[in-house]
Parts: sequence; C-alpha cells; structure tokens
Amino acid sequence: MTDIKVLLVDDEVEFASALSERLRLRSYEAKAIYRAEDAIPFVKSDKPDVVLLDLKMPGMDGIEILEAIKQFDPTIEVIILTGHGDTESADKGIKTGAFDYIMKPVDIGELITKIEQAKKKKNSR
Amino acid sequence: MNVHLSKICYYNINMFLTKEQDTSIHQKVINFLKALAHPRDFLRVLGRNRYRSLKIKIIFLDAILSLVPLFIVVTVSYFWFQQILKDDFRNQLTWEIENTKQSIDFFIEERLSALRFITSAYTYEQLSDQKVLTDIFTKFKREFAGLVDFGVINSSGIQQSYAGPYRLKGVDYSNQSWFNEIIIRSSYVSDVFMGYRKIPHFAIAVKKELPEKGTFLILRATIDMETLKKYTSTINLRENDDAFIINQEGILQTPSRFYGNELEKFRDPFFLPYRDVSVQEIKQTNNTYIIYGHAYIKNSPWILITIIKSTPYAKIPNIFRNELLIISMISIVIGIAVSIVMTQTLVNRIKKADQEREDAIAKTEHASKLASIGRLATGVAHEINNPLAIINEKAGLMKDIIEISGDLQQNKEKFLGLIDRIFDSVNRCRMVTHRLLGFARRMEVAIAVIDLNDTIKEVMEFFEKEILYRNIRLELNLRKDLPKIESDKGQLQQIFLNIINNAIDAVEEGGLIEVSTNVKDANNVQVSIRDTGHGIPKDKIKHIFEPFYTTKEKGKGTGLGLSISYGIMQRLGGTISVESEVDKGTIFTVEMPIRFETG
Repeated sequence: MTDIKVLLVDDEVEFASALSERLRLRSYEAKAIYRAEDAIPFVKSDKPDVVLLDLKMPGMDGIEILEAIKQFDPTIEVIILTGHGDTESADKGIKTGAFDYIMKPVDIGELITKIEQAKKKKNSR
Repeated sequence: MNVHLSKICYYNINMFLTKEQDTSIHQKVINFLKALAHPRDFLRVLGRNRYRSLKIKIIFLDAILSLVPLFIVVTVSYFWFQQILKDDFRNQLTWEIENTKQSIDFFIEERLSALRFITSAYTYEQLSDQKVLTDIFTKFKREFAGLVDFGVINSSGIQQSYAGPYRLKGVDYSNQSWFNEIIIRSSYVSDVFMGYRKIPHFAIAVKKELPEKGTFLILRATIDMETLKKYTSTINLRENDDAFIINQEGILQTPSRFYGNELEKFRDPFFLPYRDVSVQEIKQTNNTYIIYGHAYIKNSPWILITIIKSTPYAKIPNIFRNELLIISMISIVIGIAVSIVMTQTLVNRIKKADQEREDAIAKTEHASKLASIGRLATGVAHEINNPLAIINEKAGLMKDIIEISGDLQQNKEKFLGLIDRIFDSVNRCRMVTHRLLGFARRMEVAIAVIDLNDTIKEVMEFFEKEILYRNIRLELNLRKDLPKIESDKGQLQQIFLNIINNAIDAVEEGGLIEVSTNVKDANNVQVSIRDTGHGIPKDKIKHIFEPFYTTKEKGKGTGLGLSISYGIMQRLGGTISVESEVDKGTIFTVEMPIRFETG
C-alpha cells in the first residue's frame, strides 16, 4: 500500500476512468475528473500529491490549470499527459513547472515510475 | 471584383453568340475571359504574345531614343553647314566686290594723279602748245592703256590744245555741265558717253589754278570704256551672274549680260541704302533668292553692281547630304541591329525569369499540397491517438484485474463493459481512417452528384477539436432543401478547408464562425463563411487571391491557400468573392453552378 494521492484531469472520460481504476488497483489513492473547470477547486479541497494533467481540454487552457496548481501549492507535482508528437505543449508545461510529461497511450509501468519519482521529489522538499 | 466582370462578360457573350455559331470559338472566348479573371492565368494565356509585344515596344522605344537625336543632329548640321557655305560665299563675294571697287578707285586715282602731275610739271604755255601736248600724250599713252586723247581747256571753256585721233581743238565746252562742275570741284570723272567719237568712253579732268594770271586751266583726258569694263570681269562670275557699272541715274556704264548694253537704263534698280560696299540677299517674286552687291566708286559717279543668281553653295551640300545620308543609314541600321540583339537578350532573360518563377510557383503549389496532406495526417494521428489510449487503458485494466484478483467469473459484467468500450474506440478509429481514405481518394478530380451540406459537415469534423479548444462558436445554417450539385467533392473540401482554416486563425477565443448554404438562383448555389475575426484591410483585400500573398506570421502560411482555392473554383465553374471590414469580420462567398459544364 502506498499513500500517494493522484488526481487525473482529462476530458476523455473512458481513458481517465480506466486509468484511475488501474492506479487504484495498484493501491494509489487515484481520482479522475473530466472537466477542466473542476480541476482547481478539487485540487484545493483534496490536495493531491501528484496531478496527471491533459493540456488540451475544452473550456480551459491546461497551462492555466498548471499555473493555478503551482500557485496554490508549489509542492504538488504535475505530470503532463500529451498526445503523441505534441512535445511542444509538453515542453511549455515543463517550463511552467510541470515535473515531467508522458505520452498517450500510457505505459503503466513508466507512469508508476514517474509518479513515484514525483512523490519522492515532493517528500524531499 | 474581376470575377464578377468575367461572369458578366460570360453572359453577354452567351447572348451574342447564337447556337449556329462554332461552339469551339464560343468556348475559346469564354476560356479566354475566364483566364483573364486571374492574373497568373492571364500571364499564361497571353504569354507568347506578351513577350512579342514587349519586344516590339522596347525596340520601338530604343529606336526612337537613338534615332531622334540622330535625326536632330543630322538636320541641324545640314542646315548649319548650308548656312556656313552661304555665309562663306557671301563673304567671298563681298571681298571680291571690295577688291574690284578698290582697283577701280585706284585706277581713277592713278589717272587723276597723272593728270595733276602733268598740270604741275608743265606751264600753261607749254600745255597750250599743241606740240608739247602731243609729245606728253604719246608718252602717256604708252604707260596708260585705254587713253584716247588729251585736251587743255582754258577758263572760258575753249579747248586750247588737243592731242588725240580727232580734230577737236577750239571746241567750246563752256555750256556743258561737267565744265561748270569742275570749276567748283577741281577734278571730275564723267559718265560714260558716246560723244563725238561714237565709241563709249569717259572723261577725267583736273583743274589747275593759275593765281598769277587770275585764271585756271583744265587738263582733260578721255579713256576707252573697255578699260573700265575689264575690271568688272575680275569678279568670279558663273552662268547666271552679272557684274557691271552704273551711274547715279542708273545708266549702264559697262555692258551687262542680262540688263542691257552700255548707256541703256538699268531696268532692275534695287534700293541702295549705303554709301559703301553692301551685299544683301533679296527674295524675288518667284521665291528664289539673288545676292545683290553694290559698291560706290570713289571720286566718280559710278556704282559697281553685282547680281548673283547662281547658287554654288547649294551644290556642295548635295555631296555633304549624300555622305550624311549614308552615315545616317549606317547608324540607323547598326542602331536597330544592336537594339534588336539587346532586346532579344533582355526579353529572353525576362522570359526565362518568368518561366523560373512559374516553375517555382508550381513547385510550391505541390509542396503546399504535400504540407496540407501532412497537416491532415497530424490531425488524424491525434484523433486516432485518443481512442488508442482508451483501448490501452481498458485492456490494461482487464489485465490488471486478472493479475490481481484472478477471478474472471466475478468480473464478467465489468469485462464485457470494458470490451464494449474497446469496440467503441476501435469504431472511432475506423471512422477517422475512413474519413482519411475518403479524403485521399477525393484528391483526384472527379465530378459527382454531391450533397453540399454533407460535404461541409465532413470538413467541419476536421476542425471540431480546434473549435472546441479555442471556444469558438460555430453556427451551421445549412439549408435543408438545398439541391444536390454536380461538382468535385474533394476539391470543394480543400477550398472550404482553406477558407475555414483562415477563419479560425482570424477569430479570437469566443469568436463566431458561421457557415451557411443557400440557393442563389435557378442555376447556382452559394456557401457563405462568415467570421467575426480581425478582418482584412482594404489595401490588402485586393491581393488575397494572389499566389504567395499572406498576412500570417512567417512560417505560418504559404500564401497559396486562397490562390489555389481560386484556381480550383475557376475549374469548377464557380467564383469566390470576399467582403471584409476591419475588426468586424470577413465573409467569403463561394458560388458554384448546380450543373457542371465542361470547359
């Protein structure tokens, strides 16, 4: 059992729900939200350790959400979820303060490693 | 816009051409007018003739530029040269007249001096002696040619003594005018007269005062007119020229060629304004010019007249003119040859440059097409990626469940649900690939009966994500009863892709894009694409259909999208027009025929 709280923000419901369930099966305290505008209030109330964030969502710019999270609590690490080949927005995310990015479709092993690294970084602060 | 113009022309020509007329001419005219609507095609259609007329224009201009100064120089120098020759001729004539006048002056002066010498060297008595006078006369006759006789006249006008061929001793001159004149003037030269001798001659006389006696004597000599005449022949005369001497009353003193013999009246008196030598040009009634010279002879009643009708100075320019003509002709031939060669080179260079430019346009068009395929591929990859990610997670979750709980039966319902989601995602992928395949197929030109509304909806699918992410409001006002049209679906989609792509680039977040379809008239339908973007300024709107014209940032647009769309619409028999207002938005209106007409 781990005690890492993971928040998944992605408008693709089927993707986010399945991935969050897989994380829960691996004993992470994972939750998924599907609307960009719900992201900030949820982060403020739930205070996750790691946020998995899709940058391309209708209604709100992913980078804005990232900035808001970092403003609220800089210790919350954000891993960007991005489509294949869209490294440009991922780079922008890294510059804005994201911990790392991961390409969709996601390799679960790689994702776990990145979440652990992010948590480790958070703990070391 | 020129598009509408070509349309108007199209209809007008349709009105004028009857069905009996050759349809191929009909088509050619229409094609030509259609081609005029686009500058690039205009260049292609007029290509060969354009270079030809350019060549002719340059040669013509070049020829004018080089030949006009040549013509001016030649003309000016011709008249200048003629004037110089004329002046020269006049100067020479003046010089000759002056020379002759001086010779005659000198001749008279010499004779008078001789007579004065005699009157001073001899006494009155000696001179009155017939023998002495004859002796003097004989000696003088040897020295002075033309001397006819000597006479000594006393103060009463009676000839005291005489030496010569006639018997004139004792003749009374007292009532003759010259006698009265010499009393006042001391020397005298007479007009030419026949006198007693019946040959033309003239007299010169000097008076000697005899103060001791309180009286005077006159020594008078007569001289043959021939002596005088020979002086006039020193002037260089040509066939039509004349030189002679007249007296103050205009009586010829020497014979002339054209104006009568000696002692006749000179019938052509000219105004003689000066007391010295003058040469003037006088225009005659028959428009020819004569050069008229006159010179007063000193100590005499004579005037030397020169009338030159020949124009030797006009003959010399003939030679000069021929040379000038030959040189001019050679210059013109060389000038035109050089001009032709230069123009040939220049126009060939321009032609080559134009061809290279056209090739470049063709290449870039091709590149742009490839780029649009690339953009499409990227979009498609993105759209496939999302369902793939879902499949990945659903399959991963199923694997996780099996690995962790191991109980398949208990999770049967959940598995079936997950599998359905996987199928859904696969369907999503299939739709995308179908769309792509359909689009690829439509890259080739193919006319078919199509539903314009469906075509637009399919195009909009490509922009769904972008419109969503950028919060753009999309309004589709597609008319349900829109007739199906004959056109090329793929080509139309490319046009709409280009225009809508521009609209999306133009609007801010939250902006509006409205796509509507309408029936324009019995033969045409129209699609309007309206955006509430930044609009296009007036000075730019006229260029937007030109190839390579772009207002987008560097690297964002090729400037070919609308140009290509324009070309495609031409081929499909329709038009694209644009209206725009800065900061309000832009409306692109695509009009296309319901029935596709070939050519």
